Amino acid sequence: MLLLGLLLTSTVTPAHEAGPAVSTSASSTRASALIEALGRPAPARTAFAEARFMHMLERPLVVSGQLAWLGGDRLERRVEKPRLEIATITDGEVTQQREGKRPRHFSLKRAPQLQVLLDSFVALLSGDAERLQRAFVIQTSGHAAGAWSMTLTPRDPEVARTVASIVIDGFARESRCMETHEADGDVAVDLLGTLAGEMPAQPTPAALQTLCRGAP
Amino acid sequence: MSRRTLSTSRKARTGLLVTWLLVLAALGWIVAQRLHVTTDLRSFMPAPTTPDQRLLMDQVGEGPASRLLLLAIDGAPSGSLARLSRGLAVALKHDPRYAEVLNGNVDLGALPDGLLAYRYLLSPTLDTQALDEPYLADQLQQRVDDLSSPGASLLKPLLPRDPTLEVLKLAQLWAPARSPELRDGVWFSKQGEALLLVQTAAAGFDPGAQDAAVSGIERAFHALPGSNDAKLQLSGPGYFSVVLSAQTRHQADWIGRISTVGFIVLLLLAYRSVSSLLLSALPIASAALAGIAALTLIYPAVHGITLAFGFTLLGVAQEYPIRVLSHRRAGEDALASVRALWPLLLTAIASACIAYLAFYASGVNGLQQLAVFTIVGLLVAGFTTRYLLVYLLPRRVHDVADMRWLARARQWVDALPRPRWIPVLAALMIVLLLALAPGPFWQNNLAALTPLPTAMLQRDARLREALGAPDVRYMVVLQAPTAQGVLALSEKLQARADALVGQHAIDALELPSRYLPPVALQRKRQARLPDRAALEQSLHAASRDLPFRPGLFAPFVNDVEAARSLPPLTPERFEQSPLGQRLAAMLVQRDGQWFGLGTVSGVHDVAALQAIGADSHGSVRLLDLKAASESLVAAYRTRILRALLGAAILLVLTISVALRSVRRAWHVLAPMTLATFLVLAVERVMGIEISLFHLVALILAGGLGLHYALFFERDTGDPAEQRRVLHATIVCVLSALLVFGMLAWSTIPVLRAIGLTVSLGVFFHFCLSILMAPHAHAAED
Repeated sequence: MLLLGLLLTSTVTPAHEAGPAVSTSASSTRASALIEALGRPAPARTAFAEARFMHMLERPLVVSGQLAWLGGDRLERRVEKPRLEIATITDGEVTQQREGKRPRHFSLKRAPQLQVLLDSFVALLSGDAERLQRAFVIQTSGHAAGAWSMTLTPRDPEVARTVASIVIDGFARESRCMETHEADGDVAVDLLGTLAGEMPAQPTPAALQTLCRGAP
Repeated sequence: MSRRTLSTSRKARTGLLVTWLLVLAALGWIVAQRLHVTTDLRSFMPAPTTPDQRLLMDQVGEGPASRLLLLAIDGAPSGSLARLSRGLAVALKHDPRYAEVLNGNVDLGALPDGLLAYRYLLSPTLDTQALDEPYLADQLQQRVDDLSSPGASLLKPLLPRDPTLEVLKLAQLWAPARSPELRDGVWFSKQGEALLLVQTAAAGFDPGAQDAAVSGIERAFHALPGSNDAKLQLSGPGYFSVVLSAQTRHQADWIGRISTVGFIVLLLLAYRSVSSLLLSALPIASAALAGIAALTLIYPAVHGITLAFGFTLLGVAQEYPIRVLSHRRAGEDALASVRALWPLLLTAIASACIAYLAFYASGVNGLQQLAVFTIVGLLVAGFTTRYLLVYLLPRRVHDVADMRWLARARQWVDALPRPRWIPVLAALMIVLLLALAPGPFWQNNLAALTPLPTAMLQRDARLREALGAPDVRYMVVLQAPTAQGVLALSEKLQARADALVGQHAIDALELPSRYLPPVALQRKRQARLPDRAALEQSLHAASRDLPFRPGLFAPFVNDVEAARSLPPLTPERFEQSPLGQRLAAMLVQRDGQWFGLGTVSGVHDVAALQAIGADSHGSVRLLDLKAASESLVAAYRTRILRALLGAAILLVLTISVALRSVRRAWHVLAPMTLATFLVLAVERVMGIEISLFHLVALILAGGLGLHYALFFERDTGDPAEQRRVLHATIVCVLSALLVFGMLAWSTIPVLRAIGLTVSLGVFFHFCLSILMAPHAHAAED
């Protein structure tokens, strides 16, 4: 869906000199090293643009805005287009605010997508490889200094009933895209950071994939 | 020759003993087969007379508030607490012992599939909205926004069937009015405990069933993974009754064990014969078994309290074997001793039976059982002592009259001055003490006798506040000839309830129409549902610019169409759904009338709440359960006192006839009466308010005192016999003081009430019967 972008826009040099090649079956220490290098202090913000492809809909839903890690387990997803909507996660509770409506509250447990977001986003932003590994089975491929891809599969069976997997594409220190594959086949693609501005008017999954896998 | 008689008589004795034991075993078997013990406290309450008392009896036990258990889980990180809360809710959900389990998790399945189409008749949406194009357009646009928002996965499964989210509106409507904060999707208190509300299927007045419900919760909790570190705490009326009865039983048990040992030691010291001791237990065992057997023959179920009190009251029967043992003379067989004693013993038995008859006249089922049990028991104890025990007792005994200390004691007692002004002095003291006594005379609040630890009450208040759980004292009662009438009344009352909440008089008032609107309102909503063609057209127009796939909302259109022709939902039908249990507890029929019970939480202004039924001509009123239960207890006491008065008159007649002298009857009854009132006066001066338990204890003490007076009054002219009377009475007094004196030290007020009253009673009865007995020889002078 949204966010790892921020982490990756950091220009911090990695702990190791030369970016080592990351093989598909990278040992968890390799993945850890990659993740730890992505950490940055809170608060952190990034732009995002999201396209959702759903069975129920004839055409994708497109929204864009800002995603922010406010420190701890607090996260804010601010949609600016087409309508303002702010969703915040605090203490396992989601608050959703829309213009002219009363705020809505619901539990994080009821929104597994957000749970996934929180687990992956906060872990990546804080460089907490351990947390990421607790929540997901991680597979990485590509090259840490060039284009890479990380597939996260939720370990919690309850979450997995809704979210099948997440694929994060990045280049060097920057993550560019996040694809969320829901268990019912619906897909959400989030373009992050600088890429957020390049959302096509009529997105298709194929076109977005090309965009994500390309070099900056 | 004499050896032969001896051996045949020994054979006969063994035969008698074996037969007796066999009969007891048979009785025991019958009892074990037939005895069914109930714990429902209501059978210990008098028949209610006012409508409010009747509702109290029906509803305090079964009403929604009394069935509520409040649960708090703490001692672990909040993530694990939330997991435990969810696990516990799942584990209890399908257990028939629990009508409802709430933990804050909004349950979209509250309406079963079969009733799903009713959502349009149950939700208030159609009162202010039509399912027309502008409304649908707005709703569908919101759904598009929802789908791109983080909560989308929650809505996706609902959308095709319910695009206006009526199911969600109903879930919110039915969620508790004021709920605690949610963390990880479940309720948490400010102190960081996970909170749950459980409504038991069993009535709150049934400690046995509540015990099963409470232990079921505890077992389910401890079976959850990760529950070892966390702590589960319960609160609520049902839990309290379980804690209290366990506490009371525990203390009564260990006190009982100690006093039994003391009692045995006392009897061994007094009679120095193990066989006498063992044999004298037979009449009591026969009394208890015969009493229970009689109960099982007359009543379908025997109350647990009847048995507990019954065994206490049966303590009087221990006197019969004791009297026989003390009155044995050296060289005389037991039969001869008992023949001399029997007329007096029979009077004693008859008078104790008359005193206990008062319980029968009270008209309360539990107390009538108590009367049957004790009267049958006393008669059996008396007659088995007279006609069976005496044949078994060892022939050779040592005569207590020869004991030197006893002779000295008798001399001292005989030398006591017995001025005629003693009764006057005692009466004056009683009046003076009663006049000085602080506080109210009667204790109407039964709960005061089984008080809860302050910490437990504070926790209950805190959890109740946090959960917005209903007050256990106040309840709004709606009354109408039909269920629909009650629902209509409830619907009308809603605005006033909202106003009361608005002015902070109360935190919430939950009325039955919140779950089921009256049929008339359902029909009105039904009439506003568009037909298929109109709905399809509005839907088409409303979704013109939206990305929804064509035909996506066909299930919605079908449901609306189905809802148009549904017969309105009735309480009977609704009660089959999970939430129906909740409605069933709030909507009850009694005496051809229907009653709605509204539960109130957070009562801040009773007067304002009272005004809720101001102009309803009694069809809406505030029920104060505490006032109703206290009026019930007061009515109860009046009945017992009246029955006691009747018993007292009967007693005077019996004693006068048995002794064939009013003057002699005065010597027996005056000390007993004065001692009884002296106990009352002393307890009142100690600041004790008199409760039903004190009255029962006074009657027991009165029965014992009557025996003392009867025996002291008897002047045989034989100093040895007088010594034996003193011996028997001292053994009786000491054994009673031993048993009840121990109870008087209990920390539980109800046990203390019984223990202190009987101990004081035994002491006063003993002293006054000695001091007021006719002087050994003075009477003849």
